[in-house]
Order: sequence, then C-alpha cells, then structure tokens
Amino acid sequence: MINSALKNGPPGDLAIWIFILAEMSVFGVLFAVYAFDRSNQVELFNLSQATLNRVSGFINTLILLTSSYFVVRAVSAIKRNDSSACAKWLIGGMLFGLIFMTVKSFEYYDEFSHGISMDTNDFYMFYIALTFFHFLHVLMGLIIFSFILFKVIRGGYTSTEYHGIETGASFWHMVDLLWIILFPLIYVMH
Amino acid sequence: MATNFTKSTARNIFFGGSLFFFLLFLALTFDTTQRLPKTDNSAVINPAIAHGKKIWETNNCIGCHTLLGEGAYFAPELGNVYKRRGPDFIKAWIKGQPTGVPGRRQMPQFNLSDEELNDLVEFFKYTSEINTNNWPPNVEG
Amino acid sequence: MQFKSQAVAKPYFIAAIALFIGQIVFGLIMGLQYVKGDFLFPEIPFNVARMVHTNLLIVWILFGFMGAAYYLIPEETQTELWSPKLAITMFWVFLVAGALTILGYLLVPYATLAQLTGNDILATMGREFLEQPLPTKLGIVVVALAFLLNIGMTLLKGRKTSISLILVLGLTGLAVFFLFSFYNPANLVKDKYYWWWVVHLWVEGVWELILGAILAFVLIKVTGVDREVIEKWLYVIITMTLITGIIGTGHHYYWIGTPSYWQVWGSVFSAMEPIPFFMLTVFAFNMVNKRRREHPNKAATLWALGTGVMAFLGAGVWGFLHTLAPVNYYTHGTQITAAHGHMAFYGAYAMVVLTIISYAMPQLRGRAANSNAAQVCEMWAFWLMTIAMVFITLFLTGAGILQTWLQRIATTPMSFMDTQAQLSIFYWLRETAGVVFAVGLITYVVSFFIKGETPAN
Repeated sequence: MINSALKNGPPGDLAIWIFILAEMSVFGVLFAVYAFDRSNQVELFNLSQATLNRVSGFINTLILLTSSYFVVRAVSAIKRNDSSACAKWLIGGMLFGLIFMTVKSFEYYDEFSHGISMDTNDFYMFYIALTFFHFLHVLMGLIIFSFILFKVIRGGYTSTEYHGIETGASFWHMVDLLWIILFPLIYVMH
Repeated sequence: MATNFTKSTARNIFFGGSLFFFLLFLALTFDTTQRLPKTDNSAVINPAIAHGKKIWETNNCIGCHTLLGEGAYFAPELGNVYKRRGPDFIKAWIKGQPTGVPGRRQMPQFNLSDEELNDLVEFFKYTSEINTNNWPPNVEG
Repeated sequence: MQFKSQAVAKPYFIAAIALFIGQIVFGLIMGLQYVKGDFLFPEIPFNVARMVHTNLLIVWILFGFMGAAYYLIPEETQTELWSPKLAITMFWVFLVAGALTILGYLLVPYATLAQLTGNDILATMGREFLEQPLPTKLGIVVVALAFLLNIGMTLLKGRKTSISLILVLGLTGLAVFFLFSFYNPANLVKDKYYWWWVVHLWVEGVWELILGAILAFVLIKVTGVDREVIEKWLYVIITMTLITGIIGTGHHYYWIGTPSYWQVWGSVFSAMEPIPFFMLTVFAFNMVNKRRREHPNKAATLWALGTGVMAFLGAGVWGFLHTLAPVNYYTHGTQITAAHGHMAFYGAYAMVVLTIISYAMPQLRGRAANSNAAQVCEMWAFWLMTIAMVFITLFLTGAGILQTWLQRIATTPMSFMDTQAQLSIFYWLRETAGVVFAVGLITYVVSFFIKGETPAN
C-alpha cells in the first residue's frame, strides 16, 4: 500500500490536494493565531473554555472517526468493483457526518441561548468561528458525497475508474483530521 | 506523478469552493449587520447628520482627505477631526479657505451656508464616535 | 484574425490607450501638486485632478477588457460576434458618456454637477472611484448589459471553452458588483461596508478571473502549450483567488466600525491572497518554457510574463506588507496604500490590457506580429514604464514608512501637514519616476507607428 502511494502519488485528483493544502494552511494559521491570542489572555481563555461541552465534543470526534472509517470501506468496496457495498458504506459515512452536524447544532443552540456569540470575548470568537468554519466543511463534504453517491448508484464508478470517490474521500479525511486537531486544541488544552 | 489532475475536477472545486466562501461571506455579513448597532453609532443619525454626509459627498471632500483612513492622501484624516479641532475651528477653517499660502496645498472655498456647515460638523461628530477599534493610533489621524 | 467581427476590438483598444494617456497627464499634475501645493489651483484643484486620474484609469481598463472580450470570444467560440453593430454603438455611447463626465469634473464645480445631474433623486456621487454622476452610472450599467448580452449570445451559439466561460463569469461579476455603487446609506459604516463590495470584489475578486482568462488566452496563442493544461491550471488559480479574496474582503473591515472579528478573518484570508498571483507567475513562466512554437510576437510574450511578475509584486507582495491587522493599524491610509495601489493596478490590470493589445493589435492590422523595429520600441516602452513604476512604488513606500513613523508611531506624533513637509524629497523623486513613466508611454504609442519589415509568420 505504501509502495503504491509512493509510486502513484496521493489518491484522488491533484486539484483537490492543492485545495486541501490551501485549506490546511488557512486552518493552520487560524490555529496559530488562536494560540498567540490565547497566550495573552490565558485566564480568560481557560475560564471560557471550561464552559464548553467536552463530552459532546468527544462524542463528535468518535463520530467523525467512524464516518472516515466507513468512507475507507467505501473506497475498498469500489476497488473490488462492488458498487452496491460502496454505496452502503458511503451512506453510512454520510449519515455519521449528519449526526456530527446534529450534535454540533445542539451544542450551538445551548450556547447561543445562553447569550454566547462571537462578540462575547476572544475565546468564544475563535471557538464559534473555527467550529462553524469546520461545520461548513462537513456540510460541503456531505454535498460532495451526494454527487458521488448518485454516480455510484448509477454504476458510474468501477474498480478501474474511481477517481472521483478517492477525491471526495481525501477531502473528507482532511475534514476529519482538522477536527482531530481542533477538538483538543479548543476544547481541552489548558 | 501518476496522480490524475483533471480539468473537470478543478472546475468543480472552483465552483464548489467559490460558492462555499461566498455563502460564508453572506453569513458573516448577516452577523455583522446584526452587530453593527453596537459600534456604528447609527442611533444618533438624524436629518442634520444625513445632510452633513451629503455635503461631504457633494463637495468631494474624500478627493483630498481620508475618512476612517479611506480616501485621498493629500490632506488630513477627518474621522477624528471633531476631537482634534472641535466644531468652531472646523467651521472657521472651511470658511477661511483657500489659505493662499504660496506652495502650500490648497483647499477650495465651497461657499457653504451656516446651516450646511453645522450639518457637516454634526456629521464629523457622529463619525468621530463610531467605534473603530481604537483607530487611529493618535489624535493626528 | 480569424473572424471579421473581431475587428470591433480595435476602436476599444485605441480608446483605451488614449484614455491611458489622459490618466497619466493628470497623474503628473497631481504628483506636482504634492510638492507644489498650489499648482493649477483653483482651476484644477487636487481632488478634481484625482477623480479624473482614477476615473480615466477605470474606464480605460474597462475599454481594454471589453476590447479583449470582443477579440478573444469570437476566436474561442469559433463563431462571429452576435452583433458587431451593437458593439460599435456601445463603444460610442461609453466614450461620449465618459468624455462628458470628465469634462463635467473639469468644467463644473462638483456640487453643481451633482445638482445638475439628479444626485438629489438618488445620491450616489462623492465616494472614491464612484464620483460619476447618476446618469453616467446608469449609462455604465446599460453599456455593461449590452456588452454581456452580445458576448453571452456569441458564447451560446458557439464552442464553449473554459477561457471564455471564466472571462464571461468575471465580466458578469464585474457588472453585478457595480450595482452596489447605487447603494449609499446615511449610515457611514454600512456605506463603507458595501463600497468595498464594488472595489475589493472587483480588483481582488472578479477582475482576477478576467486577468487569468486573458493571460491564459495569450499564453495558448504564443506558446502553443496544450489548452487542457493551461485551462485546468487556470481553474486552480481562480479557485485560489476566490477562496482567499472573498473572505479577504475583511482586511478592509478592521477600522471602519465593524465587529473586531474581522481583524482575524481578514488577516488570515487576505494574507493568502498573494498565492494565486504567485501561481500565475510560475504558470506563465512555465508555459513559456514548455512552449511548442516560437511565436514572432516577442513583445506580447514579454508583457504576459511581466504582468505575472508585477502583479505578484504589486498586488501580492506589497499587499501582504500591509494586510495584517497589527501592521495595518499603523499604516492605514498612508502612502503605503498609495504605493501598493499603484503597482498593483499597473502590474495586474494595466499590464494585462497592454498584453492583449500587444498580441491582438498586430492581428487586427493584418499580421502575426509587428516588425522587429516596432517590437523593440514596444519592449523599450515596457521596460521604461515597468521600471518607472517600480521606482514610483519604492519612493512612495519610503514616504509611507517615514509617514507611519512620524505621524502614527512616534511618542510625540507629528501633524499630517508637518509630516507631509518631511516627505517632499520622496515626492520629488516619485514625480521624476512619473515623468520617466510618461516617456515610456509615449514610446509605447510611437511603437504603433513604426513600420519596418514584418517578421515571417
């Protein structure tokens, strides 16, 4: 598997990898600015951070990891030319993505109804901005997967032509990776 | 590299990515608009201030000056001129132009009525009380 | 040229150059007024010279974009323009309206112009770059719609290429965002917020799509590199443009009364706006290196490469220098802005128009490229203008750094006027560079009239 990766380059289209690089740079810079801002207001950040729902965040981490696992299974399925299994795994992955968004929405609802907003203080500004930006990426991933799912169901992908699925999967794994960094950074580390 | 790089994927990413960011921008605009009353000092806007803004525009003051840092860089920043100079100086200054000092940058005489001058000053006062996140760094603008 | 109707581009290009000359005349006037403050006062006060200078800039570039579209769309779509007559009619409408507007600025006090032209019906005048009277603004909308109709109908009946789609998308965006110039609320913060939807989303947004498409077209023609390769990289570049530039609008929202979270969002995204310009430069050089033909139009190739470099330097690098909020806090509204603005506009938009003119004009005049003598003259013009612009920018940057130090940072800040007096050496140097630029422009115009033997196709 590693030999194949070294020989063939990253899975999926190069264009999505350029996009992934750009996105990760943006998030990277945002994380860095967060860390810098935090270093000037450690007390405030810690106090505000303590109000976050860590259980919810942790559950969401497991949900996204599971979702990514399903997507990996979907890609394996199409490599075996099994469109029907691919579609099922993909639906599973998307479902878990939807669950992530639902859990996050409940978290937001709770926070917003307590009057928290981007205006409240710097910590909450970063928390809302970063998680909302990430949330939108999850949504975007689901939209991308809808297009891909459509094509899978119509039999548009085979064991020799699954370029689009790998492209979408790469994007989804990036979204997962971002959350894996975001959760400990924003919710936990103090 | 054997990785595929197709025009159609690049095109899809372009449309998807641009739409995504445009929608995000709209969401941020919506949020900003909700928040503006806290910082934009719009609660004080009355016909005099609105008229003052119109005088500012129809005499193209921005053609030489900056307002909140935006405009031309030939003459001083006027976003905080109300705090820097006060209403009486501002009116006297405008009434007294041009200075005619040889070689000095010249400001035209706009022949503004007393009412127009008052309204313009009200506009400057309103502007000086907008919450600009502490900009400019000092009173000189 | 492949299609007869491409000929309508010619008057557009000629008007563009004529207006460019006008722009520079008034630029030189302003440059002198910076150091001899009463030069031409009261006949042409600084603000009048400025609005003539900036409005001419925008209009000549628009003529250039439209000429570019009329030239390249028929060739890309492989069909004649839908209505050459409409194109010529709109040319005269735009030119006359533009000329009348400039005359209005020069001959009538601005407040009187406002009264005479219906500003009391809908107040749209008096904002930077949007000084045009209401009728002119409406005229621009009409001209833009007619132009889009013409190009759109041509596109519909012909071959669709990525270049033509991207060009039309950019031009449509240009027209749509111009509509925000009609929104001018009494709330100054909202006024400024949406003003940037015209200005930023133009020059750091949809105009970059136009730039990319025109450059890609010229590169395909002069290098012969495969269209698929050029077009897919074009998509990547414009993707980077919009994903950085849209939220990057926030770098204009730091100090105008909008929420402070824009300082983070605007800084992070706008810091990445140089990326597409960097890619454009690498892209252009790469394509020329990988070329499959030796096109006789060397001047056009030089302009194309120069556009990438100058756009990256002026828009990308100089933009980056003052885009981060902590820096911008001190440099906002200083000569740093002027330095960046000049090199960015010249490097990206003036040069891309000069690129397409360089490629297309010989074709419109019946040859693949001009004679050697003419091309050498044109390349002299390229170097004179470009090097002069670099110096203009360097001198204004020096002025800006000193201004920022004296007026914004020093513990006892100096007043604006006192600071300006300290900067006069920079302004004199800038004006000298401006004169060299003007010489370059004259050289450029001369190059159109040099004959000599035309090189083989």
